[in-house]
Amino acid sequence: MTNTLLSLNEATRTVNSGSNKVTLLDNIDLQVKEGEFISLMGPSGSGKSTLLNCIGMLDSFTDGGYTFLGEPVHSMKEKNRSKLYKEYIGFVFQAYHLIDELNVWENIETPLLYKNVKSSERKAMVADMLDRFNIVGKKDLFPQQLSGGQQQLVGIARALIGQPKLILADEPTGNLNSKQSTEIMELFSQLNKEGVTIIQATHSEKNASYGSRIINLLDGKIVSE
Amino acid sequence: MFLNYIKIAFRTLLKNKGYSFLNIFGLAIGITCASLIFLWVEDELSFNKNFDKQDQVYYVPTNQNYEGEWRTFYSTPGPLAQDMLNDIPGIVKATRSSLEERLFVVGDNSITRSGRYADADFLEIFSLKFVEGNREDAFVNPEAIVLTQETAEQLFGKDEKALGKVVRVSNKDNYLVTGVIENLPNNVSFPFNWVAPFERYRDGAEWMTEYGSNFSDTFVELAPEANFETVDTQVRALIGTKEENTDDYAFLHTIKDWHLRSKFEGGEIVGGRITYVRLFTIIAFVILLIACINFMNLSTARSEKRANEVGVRKAMGSGRGRLITQFISEALILSIIATVFSVVMLAILLPQFNLIIDKNLTLGLANPMHILSLITVAIVCGLLAGLYPAFYLSSFKPVEVLKGLKVTEGSATLIRKGLVVGQFTISIVFIIVTILVYQQIQFAKNRDLGYNKDQLLSMRIDLDFIPKFNVVQQELIRTGSVDNATLCNSSLLSGGNNGSGFSWKGGTDTEDVLISFRNVTQSFFDTTGMEIIEGRGFSETVEADSTSVLISESLAKMMGNESPIGNIISRGDDVLEVVGVVKDYVYGDMFDASDPVLFMHFPSYTRYMFIKTKAGVPINEALSDIEAVMKTHNPAFPFEYSFIDEAFNEKFKNEQLVGELSQIFAILAILISCLGLFGLAAYTAQQRRKEIGVRKVLGASVSGIVKLLSQDFLKLVLISIVLAIPIAWYFMQDWLQDYAYRIEINWWVFIIAGVVAILIAMVTVSFQAIKAAIANPADSLKTE
Repeated sequence: MTNTLLSLNEATRTVNSGSNKVTLLDNIDLQVKEGEFISLMGPSGSGKSTLLNCIGMLDSFTDGGYTFLGEPVHSMKEKNRSKLYKEYIGFVFQAYHLIDELNVWENIETPLLYKNVKSSERKAMVADMLDRFNIVGKKDLFPQQLSGGQQQLVGIARALIGQPKLILADEPTGNLNSKQSTEIMELFSQLNKEGVTIIQATHSEKNASYGSRIINLLDGKIVSE
Repeated sequence: MFLNYIKIAFRTLLKNKGYSFLNIFGLAIGITCASLIFLWVEDELSFNKNFDKQDQVYYVPTNQNYEGEWRTFYSTPGPLAQDMLNDIPGIVKATRSSLEERLFVVGDNSITRSGRYADADFLEIFSLKFVEGNREDAFVNPEAIVLTQETAEQLFGKDEKALGKVVRVSNKDNYLVTGVIENLPNNVSFPFNWVAPFERYRDGAEWMTEYGSNFSDTFVELAPEANFETVDTQVRALIGTKEENTDDYAFLHTIKDWHLRSKFEGGEIVGGRITYVRLFTIIAFVILLIACINFMNLSTARSEKRANEVGVRKAMGSGRGRLITQFISEALILSIIATVFSVVMLAILLPQFNLIIDKNLTLGLANPMHILSLITVAIVCGLLAGLYPAFYLSSFKPVEVLKGLKVTEGSATLIRKGLVVGQFTISIVFIIVTILVYQQIQFAKNRDLGYNKDQLLSMRIDLDFIPKFNVVQQELIRTGSVDNATLCNSSLLSGGNNGSGFSWKGGTDTEDVLISFRNVTQSFFDTTGMEIIEGRGFSETVEADSTSVLISESLAKMMGNESPIGNIISRGDDVLEVVGVVKDYVYGDMFDASDPVLFMHFPSYTRYMFIKTKAGVPINEALSDIEAVMKTHNPAFPFEYSFIDEAFNEKFKNEQLVGELSQIFAILAILISCLGLFGLAAYTAQQRRKEIGVRKVLGASVSGIVKLLSQDFLKLVLISIVLAIPIAWYFMQDWLQDYAYRIEINWWVFIIAGVVAILIAMVTVSFQAIKAAIANPADSLKTE
C-alpha cells in the first residue's frame, strides 16, 4: 500500500508575453505515489521544466489545485511552502549548479545550513554522504576541479543530504557523456529502490526507461502515459 | 552560518581579484580622504577649548564706526579692562594684553620669541599650569617674566631650572624668571612663549591710560553664575560712559568662537572659518557617498555572476532574509578591509597632508573616539553600500536565473546610471571649484600691489637701532648687494597703526575716515618701489619735513578734484601739509581696497627695516653681506629676516588651502568615479558580448563597436556636466562674494571642466570597449 505523495488537479501555468497570454501548462492532472520513478518526456518547450519547477515550488501554478502530502500547496503562504520544500524536496540540475566558491564538502552541506541543522550533525551527515558516493577524497576540491560526472554526483549528493521524499531532476545527464550518464542513471534507480520518489525530465528514451512510468508532454498537455 | 558567509565572501574576493581591488581600493580612498578631513575638522573644532575656564573666558573686541560702516577691531583702550572689572559685577577677572616680539639673551644664547605683556589676571583667566614657581605670586615682582617650558629649555638648557634666573630682554632690560608654565597646545589662536607684567610694556605712556587710542587686547572672565546677556549689555554701554562723543562700543566674544567665528561685518559675527569647516565636512560625506555609490554600482553590475548562486541557494531552501544577510556581510567584510587599508594609507599620507594644511595632526589610534569613528565608518559604509545590492540580488527568481534567462534589469540599470551621473556631477563640480579658486588666488596675487615685493627683506628692529640707521644704510649700499634700505613703523603687508578724526579742506565728515599712519624714512618709496604720482618725496633731513606728509591716492581723491598738494590735514594741534601723493598700495586684506594712508617722515618709533637687494646679486651673497653689516652695528641681535614675497604668499594661506584641498578632492573624486566607470564598462562589455559578436559577424567595424559601447557613457557624463554647472556656479558665486577684489566667472571654465570629464571618462571606458570590440566573435557566439 503506497501513499499518494502529490496530486495535481487541472493545474495550469500561464505567463504573459507582451500582450499575449501563453499557456505553458494546460490543465494537468497527475497523481504521484511514494516510491515512483517518473520520466517526463517531450520536445523542447513542451513544459517539462516548468512542470518540475512548479512541483518543486520554485514556481507556482496559476490555476488549479496542487496537493503535496495532503496539504494544499496552491493556497499556502510562501513561508509554509518554503518549509515544505526544504523538508521534502531535492533538486538536481542539468548544469549541476554547484556554488563555485564552495568546495565539495561545503556544497553538500549548504541545504543543511538552511534547515538549521546543528554543526556536529551536519558533519556526520556530510561525511556519510561522501562515503556513500565514494567521493571522500574529493571533499576539498572546488567544482571547477571536477569532471562533469563528478560534479553531477556532488549535485545529487547535495539534493539527497536533506533526506527528501522527492527528487526533481531536470535533464540530469544532459551535459554528460554516455558513460557518465549511465552511472548517474544507475544511481537514480538505486536511490529509487531505497524509497526515494524521483521525477526526471529527459530527452533520452534510454534514460526514460529507467523510470517506472513515462509521461509524454506536448504543448503543456499530457498526451500519453 | 556566519562563518559560511565569511568564507564565501573571502573566496569571492580572491576569485575576482580585479573587481575586489576596484571595490576595496575605491572605498579605501574614500575613507582615507574623509578621515583626513575629519581629522582636520576635529582639530579646528578643538581650538581654544583646552582651558579650564573656557566657558567663562571672553575676548573683548570693539566696534567702531567709520564713514557710516561698523568695523570690528580686537584692539581696545588701555583702561577698559580695569573699568570693566570695577563697574560690571558679573566680571570677576580682566586683563590687558599686548602681543610683542622680544630678543632674549642668556649667556651666549640669544633667541627672539613672541609673547604677551599682561596683567596678573591673565595667568588666572587662562589657568596657566606652572611647573616651576606658582600662579599666585608670579607677577608680584614687577620685573617678573613667566616662560613656557620650551622657551625656558631653549634659554637655560634642558635640565636646568629657570626659576629665579635672569634673562636680558631687547639688550637693555633684565627680567627675573618667576615661573615656568606648561607649553600651550597647538590649537590655541593666541600662542605665546612668555608672559610679563603689562607695566613693562612701554612704561608710562599717557595714551595707554586714556580712552581714544585702541591698542590692547582685553580678556575677561565672567563669574560662573553670571548671565551672559546682562554682562554683555553692560559691556556694550561701558565705553560710552567713559568717553564723550564716541559711538565705539566693546562687546564679549567667547574664546571658544574666536577661531571659527571671528569674521565680522557691520559689527556682527557673520561666520569665519566655520564656513570651511562645514563645507569640508559636507565634502567628506560626499566623498564617502561617492565611494559607496561605486560599491553599489559594481556589486549590482556583477549581479549576473551572482545570480546563479542566488538561484541555487534559493533552490536549496534559503529564504530571502538569509541572502540579504549574506550579501550585507560580504559588503561589511569588504568595507572593513577597506578601512584597514585606509588606516595604512592615512599613516603614509598624513605627513604630506600636514604640510598642505600647515598643522600637526596625528592619527591618534590610541584615542578611543578615533577607533570608534573608524568602526562606525566601516559599518555605515558597509551597510550603505551593501544594502541596495543585497535587496537587489536577493530578489532574483531562481527559476529564471537557473534557466540562464537574462536577469531583468529595468530599475537596476536606471539606478546605476543615476549613480554614475551623481558621481560625475560631484567630480565636475570639484574640477570647476579647483579652477576658479586657483584663478581667484592668481588674480589677487597678480594685482598691482603698488610696490615691488621682490627681493625685499623685512627685519624687526629695536628702538636702539634707529639712530644707527643712516650709517647702516650707507654701509649696506656700499656692499654692492643692496639697492636701498628704509625704516617703517609697521610691516608692509599688515594694517598697522591707524586713526580717525582728521579734517581737511574739500571733504565732508572727514573725522569719520579711518586713516593708516606710516612713519618712514626718506628712502621708503625708493626702497619699496612705491610710486609718487604727484608732488615730491621727503627731503634728506627729518627736520625739514616735520609737518609734511605724503598721502595715498585714495586719500587724495577724498580731497576733491583739485590737486591736494598744499592742502592742510589737521587733527587737534597737529597741522600737516600735503607735499606729495603716492599711488595706492595693497595691505591688510589682499582681496580688498586698503584704507587711505598718511606717510610721515618720522623714523623714531619705527619697528621694521626693509632692505631691497640689488637685482642680479645672488640672494645668499646679498644675505651674507647684510649679515656682516648688521653684526657690526647690531651685534646683540641675531640676524633674523623674512622675505616680503614669502610673507605675501602667506597671506593667501586660507585660499591656498581651499584650492589645494579641492584639487585633491577633485582628483580623488574622479579617481573613485573612474574606478566605478571602469568596472561598469567592463560589465557592459561583458553583457553585450553576444550582441557585439553578432554585429561583427554582420560586418561592424571595431571603431563602430567602440563608439556603440562608449556613447551610452558619454551621455551620462554630458548629463552630469549639465547638472554640475549650475551647482558649481551657485557655490562659487557665493564664495567669491566674500572678496571685494574678485574674478568674474568665465564660461570657458565650465567648458574646460566638461572636456576634462569627458576625456577622462572616455579613456576609462574605451579601454574596455576596445577590448570587447577586438574580441573574436567566434568565442562570444559559442553557446555554453
